[in-house]
Amino acid sequence: MEVIRIENLCKRFGRLEVLKGINLSVEQGEIVSIIGPSGSGKSTLLRCMNHLEIADSGSIVVDGTHIARAHETTGRAVYLPNKEILSVCSRLGMVFQNFNLFPHKSVLENIIEAPMTVKGMKREEACVIARDLLRKVGLSQKETAYPFELSGGQKQRVAIARALAMEPEIMLFDEPTSALDPELIGEVLQVIKQLASEHMTMVIVTHEMNFAREISDRVLFMDQGVVLAEGSPEDIFVNPKHSRIQTFLNIVAKTGESGGLADSSGSGFTDGATAGEAGQLGMPDGKAGGRTLLKYGRSGEKTDARGKGGAE
Amino acid sequence: MDYILEILPYIWGGAANAFKVYGVTIVCAIPLGIICAMGRLSKFKPLSLLIDMYTWLFRGTPLMLQLFFFYFGLMNVYPMPALTAACVTFVINYTAYFTEIFRAGIQSIDKGQYEAAKALGMTYGQTMKRIVIPQGVKVVIPPLGNEAITLIKDTALISVISLADITKNAKVVAARDFDITSYVVAALIYLAITFVIINVFRQIEKKFAYYR
Repeated sequence: MEVIRIENLCKRFGRLEVLKGINLSVEQGEIVSIIGPSGSGKSTLLRCMNHLEIADSGSIVVDGTHIARAHETTGRAVYLPNKEILSVCSRLGMVFQNFNLFPHKSVLENIIEAPMTVKGMKREEACVIARDLLRKVGLSQKETAYPFELSGGQKQRVAIARALAMEPEIMLFDEPTSALDPELIGEVLQVIKQLASEHMTMVIVTHEMNFAREISDRVLFMDQGVVLAEGSPEDIFVNPKHSRIQTFLNIVAKTGESGGLADSSGSGFTDGATAGEAGQLGMPDGKAGGRTLLKYGRSGEKTDARGKGGAE
Repeated sequence: MDYILEILPYIWGGAANAFKVYGVTIVCAIPLGIICAMGRLSKFKPLSLLIDMYTWLFRGTPLMLQLFFFYFGLMNVYPMPALTAACVTFVINYTAYFTEIFRAGIQSIDKGQYEAAKALGMTYGQTMKRIVIPQGVKVVIPPLGNEAITLIKDTALISVISLADITKNAKVVAARDFDITSYVVAALIYLAITFVIINVFRQIEKKFAYYR
């Protein structure tokens, strides 16, 4: 079943054309990564999906509802009334590059805020869900902490829990690890991998090539507002047909070596306090979880040692 | 010392009017300022422009002139007792300042906060009430504290519309006795009042220090 369909989407900021007729569809349970150089329109495309950016023309279908429909003659994007869009978009969870946690609310309050105000859930009920999610992202001890007391990786895990609290059908990740120190990237990617093992539908804009290759069912390569190539991770990473992609991958690989991005797929939460809980990760659906855990284990040893040092 | 104790009750007696104007202004101008700030930031341009003109007018002319206008100027059209005129003037004048303070406070909130709230399905109203304004309050406390101190000293201006106040009573005593001690007493009274105000705001700031 198709959960997102985008047709001929165009968007410009002033004179700059950011998206030049994008077509994209995402199936239920599918994990789609969008990669490409900065300024290629990846984030804008993602933000169009949940109405954080308003497209100029084209159509956007989310979960069966046309939130924007291309006008029959002009092609201009005609949007639904805001209220209806809001209710459709609340079925999409979004994780931002800069976390955007609510600084005046504790970790727990951050997570229960939307279930209470948007869904009208009772506080106790929302707290049960929130504590469950905190356990899942390995941050049970932090429920009374405020965002400023957390590391970047912890903030991003809270942000993921906050999005999950609305029980979204699709998760959108906008460069979730780009603002993180290298040693904190692994813990966030691990949470995303766990979601993958639970067959959450996800669209991920990322610069983590190893991660995209490992986790995705499909990879889109964007450049200058168009989708240059689309295919399985092998198609894109192993046999890229386009020289532009090869060049990009070479550049990223080089910086990756010097910048320490190479072992970002490593394992483990870096905060010692939650190390015990980390073991629970990936367990809920048995085999699949176990398999993913093993996978991290291999490349994990090195990061583990480093990670502990880094947390101090 | 005996002289100070003799003149103190009279000078302090002027504080009653000052406190009345002060209280009315704080209680009315803060909520009005929040409302006007929202209007100033409204997408409805005429409203925004109107409020912009209003803050310019009342921040751009002397408070004393405004007092003359509301008391003497309106005497034939809408006569008010001096104290009422003083309160009205101060509320309108201070609302203009508070509007700008709250506008800056609301605008200081990162747009990522709006986006996060929207992505979670919160409406604009919910976002303002639960996310933006609570954070804006913390930002505006220091400038509000400044205004709260300025306000108590501005109350000295009410003497121009024939109301008794601390400064005026001190002046009366000084003229009567050819002695500037009364001015020192008035200064000490102001210092005592501002000391209290400063500490109240320090406490409020502390209350909001739980997050950064």
